[in-house]
Amino acid sequence: MPERPDAPDEPPPFLGTWRRVYAAVGVYLCLIVLAAYLFTRAYR
Amino acid sequence: MRPLDWIVLVTSLVSIVLYGLYRARGSNTVDRYLLAGRTMPWYAMALSIMATQASAVTFISTTGQSYVDGMRFVQFYFGLPLAMVAICATVVPIFHRAKVYTAYEYLEGRFDGKTRALASVIFLCQRGLSAGLTIYAPALVLSVILGWPESLTTSLIGAVVITYTVIGGIKAVTWSDVQQMGIIFLGLIAALVTCIALMPSQVSFSDAVFLAGAAGRLNAVTTNFDWHDQFNLWSGLIGGTFLFLSYFGCDQSQVQRYLTGRSIAQSRLSLLFNAVAKIPMQFFILFIGAMVFVFYLFTPAPLLFQRAEMQRIGASGDYPAVQARYDRASEARRAAALGLVEARHADDAAAQARQKAAYRAAQREIDGARAQASQLVELAGGEKNFRDTNYIFLTFVTRYLPVGLVGLVIAVIFAATMSASSGEINSLATVTVVDLYRRHWRRGASDHHYVLASRWATLFWGVYAVIFAGWVHRLGALIVAVNKVGSLFYGSLLGCFVLALFFRKVRGTAAFVGMLAGEAAILGTAWFTDVSWLWYNVIGCAVVVATALVVTA
Repeated sequence: MPERPDAPDEPPPFLGTWRRVYAAVGVYLCLIVLAAYLFTRAYR
Repeated sequence: MRPLDWIVLVTSLVSIVLYGLYRARGSNTVDRYLLAGRTMPWYAMALSIMATQASAVTFISTTGQSYVDGMRFVQFYFGLPLAMVAICATVVPIFHRAKVYTAYEYLEGRFDGKTRALASVIFLCQRGLSAGLTIYAPALVLSVILGWPESLTTSLIGAVVITYTVIGGIKAVTWSDVQQMGIIFLGLIAALVTCIALMPSQVSFSDAVFLAGAAGRLNAVTTNFDWHDQFNLWSGLIGGTFLFLSYFGCDQSQVQRYLTGRSIAQSRLSLLFNAVAKIPMQFFILFIGAMVFVFYLFTPAPLLFQRAEMQRIGASGDYPAVQARYDRASEARRAAALGLVEARHADDAAAQARQKAAYRAAQREIDGARAQASQLVELAGGEKNFRDTNYIFLTFVTRYLPVGLVGLVIAVIFAATMSASSGEINSLATVTVVDLYRRHWRRGASDHHYVLASRWATLFWGVYAVIFAGWVHRLGALIVAVNKVGSLFYGSLLGCFVLALFFRKVRGTAAFVGMLAGEAAILGTAWFTDVSWLWYNVIGCAVVVATALVVTA
């Protein structure tokens, strides 16, 4: 399988590294599930 | 549909198609026709990914699902951010650096030709079936609104989508998707605002949310674990993650979107945008369905939302009693809802409890009457297990939205269909030509030959999708049907990619046998058990990996 020389692994435009961006998405998921859970409890 | 609605509809659709074709000029090589020359920016890919996934089914059926079952379908998407992160970290850089046209092309480099061919055929089966569902949904819209036969509207829509996709290639598909998402958001916001504005003056937005919650329509999270329950927190987080790993990591209809990126970072950003935006978007669509439910608390709703079936059961001797039961329960529910709002305003806890009990009892009566009506449909020779979920939102739109907005919402349905269907057909053609035709039948032909072959393959898959669309109405609620079909095939594909990425000792034959065993396990689970379809991906993936490891050992 040929490697593609013109596909550089650039850093993300925010948070410095991709690892931090992925962690931020994980935190976001936790918050959104929590928000949905609280929403359900508030209106049941 | 009044003249202004037709003007809005036709203008929206023509502008989408023309803009897409304008941006697609110069797509005369295989690389440009199938991968846009790998020049796309992240925002175009992000909206294209969103548009490809959000078919017309999303708007027609999800809102109806929320009306009858509440918002718990949103949990299905909880696994999506996890899947996106995993895909960004693993397959995106691998696919980009390998310079592949399809996800399955990578499998030949890692395993062998027969594994690539099997994965390609599994994809063609699965996506070919889904493509039929995607076209069928808006055909349903037109048949409801215009009274045309579904076969006619299906053929018409199919013809438009095929023409547009054959001419434009992926660049037209992607840039049209960008415009289509704009129209979709505009139409949905307009529908929600109108729905809230049409409620009685004594019912505020806060009251409407309260009433939806009291009827169990805001049940966004259910924490109970049940193998047979389709949507709960655990099936969403575990089953959903596996499903979305398969969909975004192994399904060419999505992989092809981010393969068009000008860099790895651009492709990652497009996926992460969806990781963040998709759950709020689905929540919003489901919330519209919940508000439509509240709207119908105060406005008489038909016993069944599909007019043809109502006419069918009208001649039945049992119909008057069922209709009378429904009318009585509707009136009781309306009175209880107003009483509940008054008690809430007065902050009277005892009255609230009393009215809430009456409100819920009336709702149970209504559900019972609707279930009886569905049985009457079956007894009168109609569809077995009939459900009118797909007609609820459309009935609201066509009866109560003001002139102009009806055309806009119908344009939303069309836009969503065009984006999802064109992406599917385009990817089906890509796999057919790149993974099968160019690999096994005609190697070393000219670039022009393969562009031409891609156009013919696009035409073939478009016609196939239209034919399949003719009988998909038997599959039940459309949104679930789309994912059910996907889940029958995704698990084995995902298992194969897991083997490729994480089990370096596994070779081609073991992966091939593992995929066959995984597919057999999924089909066996589907036919012989009542385990919810969201778990098929987990089961299939696990069987593929386990079998391949045993064969390797």
